[in-house]
Amino acid sequence: MSLNEVWEAASATPFVPLISKDSQFTVGFNLLLIALITATLFGLNRSFLGIASLGVPAALAFGFGAVFMICAAGVYV
Amino acid sequence: MQVKYKNARLSKSKVTATQDEEKLLSISRSAQCGRLGHPSIQWGPRIISYASFPKLDLTLPHLEFLSILNLGEIVSSSLCAATNLTTPSRLDLPSGFKPPQVFKNTNLVRNTNLEKSYVRETINVVVENVDNQPQNEYYVPFPAEVFDRIAGFEVRDKKAPNKGRFHVDATEAVPTSGNQYFVIHLPEPLEPKSQITLRISYQVLSALSPLPATITQDDKQYLTYSFSAFMPSAYVTDTQKTKLKFPSAIVSDYTTTDGLKSGSDPERMGATYTYGPYDTAKVAPGTEHPITVRYEFTKPVITVNLLERDLEVSHWGGNLATEERYWLRNNASQLANHFSRVKWTYTNFQKAPTSAVRELTYPLVPGSVDPYFIDDIGNVSTSRYRPSVGKKAGHLELKPRYPVFGGWNYSFRIGWNNELSSFLRRAAGVNSDSHILKVPFLEGPKMAEGVQYERVVVRVILPEGAHNVRFETVEGINSNGLPGANSIYARLNSMKTYMDTLGRTTLTLEVDSLTDEARDAMMVVTYDHSMMDALRKPFTIFAGLLTLFIAAWGIGKIDVSIKKR
Repeated sequence: MSLNEVWEAASATPFVPLISKDSQFTVGFNLLLIALITATLFGLNRSFLGIASLGVPAALAFGFGAVFMICAAGVYV
Repeated sequence: MQVKYKNARLSKSKVTATQDEEKLLSISRSAQCGRLGHPSIQWGPRIISYASFPKLDLTLPHLEFLSILNLGEIVSSSLCAATNLTTPSRLDLPSGFKPPQVFKNTNLVRNTNLEKSYVRETINVVVENVDNQPQNEYYVPFPAEVFDRIAGFEVRDKKAPNKGRFHVDATEAVPTSGNQYFVIHLPEPLEPKSQITLRISYQVLSALSPLPATITQDDKQYLTYSFSAFMPSAYVTDTQKTKLKFPSAIVSDYTTTDGLKSGSDPERMGATYTYGPYDTAKVAPGTEHPITVRYEFTKPVITVNLLERDLEVSHWGGNLATEERYWLRNNASQLANHFSRVKWTYTNFQKAPTSAVRELTYPLVPGSVDPYFIDDIGNVSTSRYRPSVGKKAGHLELKPRYPVFGGWNYSFRIGWNNELSSFLRRAAGVNSDSHILKVPFLEGPKMAEGVQYERVVVRVILPEGAHNVRFETVEGINSNGLPGANSIYARLNSMKTYMDTLGRTTLTLEVDSLTDEARDAMMVVTYDHSMMDALRKPFTIFAGLLTLFIAAWGIGKIDVSIKKR
């Protein structure tokens, strides 16, 4: 089976990105905002419980938010 | 942004010698087995059989460099993926080699098209096996100085073109004759006294030369083309003729022949001149009868010394970014006097024909957005973009910063974005990690006078972590303008850019000598990319920030107060 036939066979499954180009800025901005708020709250009360309840969500939001924001800025990573 | 001319002849130190190959294998085996720093890489059964490797595609210095940097994973993933990647090789022929006289050309018709700034030839030849054994190797000779300028060499059965192109090998030059050969492998051996009609098509770069070599700014330009009335064949040819198609009926000079045929030679009909038919059954193969024609061609001879084309796939952004970097030269007649801005304005106002590059029209596929046009100085504002409407192609109209006259150079870069969903699909079936990308191998300006490329480097930059990469060019009933897969130099490497930790898997394809006949030739690239590969970027940032938080908490716990303990 040639690769072109594989391409034809996959016509029903086009690639769909997790977040469309139009929504990248909104999603990225909101995630970064959440990261800023939760990181600030963690900074006010640094405790081991704070790492689990605020630090982890802040880090996750920043990780995904940074990726979407850099894409929204035109640098497609 | 400054554009620097990169060394076009990179990676020419391919590993071909036996001892180098052994060294290469030992390094790559070490990498594959995880001895170079990544124990998780397994030496899979699919890649263990080196016998199935015609040639390894990585250069020895490249592998040594990676092994020094302890990048075993990158090397191994490259090799895991290198199942169908190719390194062009040429057959060595013994000194004094002459193709065995097992075939005879019963009838040969050569169509030479001079409408563009390079030569396009299509040869239809009826080949008969005159040996008493079945034969399947047909040799096509070219002088060694012409051989490397042959582009898109393709052979098909004229009566069954849908069966696809025949496998063709190239040879090294034979020192005694100065010839290099394309060896056409017929799919089935031709039985004695049987015939097959071959359709051989190719283009010749830089075969046209302006005469006079220097003209004034508003002069007409004339090109000359020299060839032999007898097709340079390795076999005896019974009858043959050559049809020349000129861009216009203005042919100022042409050679007439005496005694080769009865009647006038060539026969002229508008812009078509026919030399022959000649009865050449008693003419020895390789005999030449030089012909020169000179005709008007007041258009630029656009030659791209080097084209670097990047196709960058972003899963997170859902984007296919294309960037092309051109190093362009006009091989038309040079200016006899200084450039006159007044004359140029006058010529432009009249829309008079000129041998200078005035504008490049670049069609873009529907859905192309964010185009840019930058040269060594910066953004070139004299460009215009007509976006696509519906399914109609968009048009990028590029006006160089100055008219590019004969002998002048111009380097620039252009780029644009597309929605990835038009070019990428997930493979149907259980393995949802497999992706299929179908993109044009070459786009480039669409000019009536044509564009010739001396060297094209296409890089398909896949997402970080992509592995098991394969590629093929798409073949149709007609020639796609590309050479055979065994003439495309393919290799895998990695490229680090924003937010990358390992680097993005990059498939690099290099072709010497190409023309815009290959415009819109498509290629298909398949690769595997899992969810964990995709999450590498956000998780790296996540891990970094979490480490910072833990460090902040830990440092905050340290009691640094001054008190009695």
